[in-house]
Amino acid sequence: MAYDVVVIGSGPGGYVSAIKAAQLGLKVAVVEKRETFGGTCLNIGCIPSKALLHASEMMAEAQHSFDTLGVEVTPKLNLPKMMAHKDATVASNVNGVAFLFKKNKIDSFRGTGKVLGQGKVSVTGEDGKVEEIEARNIVIATGSDVAGIPGVSVDFDEKVIVSSTGALSLEKVPGHLVVVGGGVIGLELGSVWARLGAKVTVVEYLDTILGGMDGDVAKQFQRLLSKQGFEFKLGAKVTGVAKSENGATVTFEPVKGGSAETIEAEIVLVSTGRRPYTDGLGLAEAGVELDERGRVKTDGHRTNVEGIYAIGDVVVGPMLAHKAEDEGIAVAEIIAGQAGHVNYSVIPSVVYTSPEVASVGKTEEQLKAEGIAYKAGKFPFSANGRARAMLHTDGFVKVLADKDTDRVLGVHIVGFGAGEMIHEAAVLMEFGGSSEDLGRTCHAHPTMSEAVKEAALATFFKPIHM
Amino acid sequence: MEEISTKVLVIGGGPGGYVTAIRAGQLGLPTIVVEEAKLGGTCLNVGCIPSKALIHAAEAFHHAKAQEKGASPFGLSVASPTLDFGKTIGWKDGIVGRLTNGVAGLLRKHKVKAIAGKAELIDGKSCVVRMADGDKRIHAEHIVLATGSAPVEVPALPFGGPVISSTEALALDAVPATLVVVGAGYIGLELGMAYAKLGSKVTVVEAADRILPVWDPELTAPVAKRLKQLGVEVLTATTAHALSDDQRALVVRQSGSVDKLTIAADKVLVAVGRMPRTQGFGLEKLDLTMQGRFIAIDDQCATSMRNVWAVGDVTGEPMLAHRAMAQGEMVAEIIAGEKRSFDKTAIAAVCFTDPEIVSVGLLPNQAKAQGLEIVIGNFPFLANGRAMSQDDEAGFVRVVARADNHLVLGIQAVGMGVAELSSAFALALEMGAVLEDIAGTIHAHPTRGEAFQEAALGALGHALHI
Repeated sequence: MAYDVVVIGSGPGGYVSAIKAAQLGLKVAVVEKRETFGGTCLNIGCIPSKALLHASEMMAEAQHSFDTLGVEVTPKLNLPKMMAHKDATVASNVNGVAFLFKKNKIDSFRGTGKVLGQGKVSVTGEDGKVEEIEARNIVIATGSDVAGIPGVSVDFDEKVIVSSTGALSLEKVPGHLVVVGGGVIGLELGSVWARLGAKVTVVEYLDTILGGMDGDVAKQFQRLLSKQGFEFKLGAKVTGVAKSENGATVTFEPVKGGSAETIEAEIVLVSTGRRPYTDGLGLAEAGVELDERGRVKTDGHRTNVEGIYAIGDVVVGPMLAHKAEDEGIAVAEIIAGQAGHVNYSVIPSVVYTSPEVASVGKTEEQLKAEGIAYKAGKFPFSANGRARAMLHTDGFVKVLADKDTDRVLGVHIVGFGAGEMIHEAAVLMEFGGSSEDLGRTCHAHPTMSEAVKEAALATFFKPIHM
Repeated sequence: MEEISTKVLVIGGGPGGYVTAIRAGQLGLPTIVVEEAKLGGTCLNVGCIPSKALIHAAEAFHHAKAQEKGASPFGLSVASPTLDFGKTIGWKDGIVGRLTNGVAGLLRKHKVKAIAGKAELIDGKSCVVRMADGDKRIHAEHIVLATGSAPVEVPALPFGGPVISSTEALALDAVPATLVVVGAGYIGLELGMAYAKLGSKVTVVEAADRILPVWDPELTAPVAKRLKQLGVEVLTATTAHALSDDQRALVVRQSGSVDKLTIAADKVLVAVGRMPRTQGFGLEKLDLTMQGRFIAIDDQCATSMRNVWAVGDVTGEPMLAHRAMAQGEMVAEIIAGEKRSFDKTAIAAVCFTDPEIVSVGLLPNQAKAQGLEIVIGNFPFLANGRAMSQDDEAGFVRVVARADNHLVLGIQAVGMGVAELSSAFALALEMGAVLEDIAGTIHAHPTRGEAFQEAALGALGHALHI
């Protein structure tokens, strides 16, 4: 029997694509080599990290904020129990995907998928048995894997020298955690262990953390993390990560030149990015083209081979679960004969640290580089009533709009709950809304999101509360 | 008597009044605001802000108690948490102080003169302010009435002694051992739940047959459930009769029963609604057209007398600070010669109970009552990864739309932290979004905001994650 669609990989891109295709009446199968569905995101990425971030934030609040509120406690950590919360969260999520597959009558094949060419996929099981599946359409959704450090050999043992996977399952709180790479993953997981008591040092190649984020945001955010005890070594090129007697050492030298420095760590987390994962997929043999960075080349989600599509981290674009999901929906719609479409200019991104960082659209630096005339409006949470009532006054909202038309081009938020507030901006930008549209929409009082309104007011005229 | 002339005279320094004054000042209009009590009005001094502070502190203590009992799944435990309620109230007072000082600062910054005293209207162009150092007479081209509202008294339970309003409930010396709340509206439940978490034995008495009767039972069910978990007893279809003879209990009668019940009550919080402040400041001399108890206004907040305007609670429902502020901004701009009218399709109502409730636009039954054929999408947080990682899966997001053209008519949500989703809901309604617009906007993963997108997908008949 031939399937209408075979999806290789069951991460957010893959499983959403499969569900959508099935909802549109197509016969669908999914190939997954992991024991559970859900891919990196659900198993060893977004979901477990958010479980630990939430739990460790509870700890930090109990230690640092409760006293101000008049609540006196002496908190104690039970790490195995915290890990059990994380595992339970993961289990209910991955079981959820299995349930959705069943509900939508999607078949699944356990094993490593390989594209044999147009219309054919093979699955190699753990026992080595190979099965061939006929597929009118193939969707490659194999995601990404830990990248390592360019030019440096890193011997990940996931105990002492760990990737994000190992950092989600440490057996005890390390005395000193060195994080190589000051991006989203490193700062999120660094935050977890810092809150639980670790000293955290971040070594980053660029002169800024969160490279690519709005400069104002990155600067303020670094200041806030420093207040939480983070130490930063910026503009530092790591030249070696090695195991030592008491843990590991990280050696780095200034990017601008200078003498090298070596620091000791109990645990080293290498979080320098992720690479598209196409190992063993047989793409070369099948004639599917990759780009210069090893990503599957696509045009409107189609590869150069008829009937083969690719989505998510394995193609160009931000490596975000929700971007993959949207591509998954678009591909399913295209295969079903509809007009699937992804608006790449409005993809929000969130960093789940404390405070959170969220952003959608262009940064100020991008607008400058592109020569677009813009205006900016900012509003700090320190002037927001609800933020004060919750002891969450760090951060601000920044709105960037076209100087002539007032159309909103970007919104950047540092603050408690920023990840939930950014959607208002995403909806606005999907409508091509102006900062005046945003500023004149009644925002409920007292909420943190009033700061979004005030920043919009500041963009087209003046804020009220500043 | 000292005589002062100005362009704009604002009576009342609450959110409606002070925002009118700030905006007028920003627009260069000579402005005076007269406030008899403290700047910031009910909202900042004895309403929204202090209640949210108390709710936040109560939540912290509640978490700590749960951790003490080992009920926390996060792996945190604390040894015998204690509450220093005096410190809690002191902290709350500190926030209120900073915010009201902030308002004073903003008025100064925008060259608005704030006069502390009680205004008495003489006619539609002037008022007298009685002050210790002599009376002042103020003449103005425009008068803006922003006198707000006050708690409604129950005739059988006049305020005084153990019978308190929300104002006193926010400033108690100690956590009462027993608290009876009369009225299961949002004010009664917000404060009732907070005190239950702080350790009071709380009973809620409500005349209607369910809690929060303005909303449908589906929306309020998660709150009813949480009340039960907190050990709050809710007596519906029950009316408060009188205090017991010893003043230590409340006597109530359940409908259909002749017997009276006596409930022990160290304090009785009466929260049965608020009434506009239209008396005691000479309003009757203006003989304005009224709309029931409220001052009648048109879509520009103009009263029946030229150049006399009214904003906020004194003009009717919904009595919400953010409505008052939006009206105030508008009135100042109209006085400055701009063309404005109040045309808000969406004023979010937020109830800061546990879990929070948000409603924007039409409820399903309201849409049906208008003869509209509707579709409803409902997405539960128990299928949302972020909610799972926060270990609070109660509630859902619900979208109500026209069946024929999918125009979104209303959005409701109940769940942890949904207050911050309200602005995205309001914006979607203001922009005239259809279901496809929301479904087609990428929502960041993992956030609670994804439930909004899923509810829209659900209304279209193809939710992905359920």
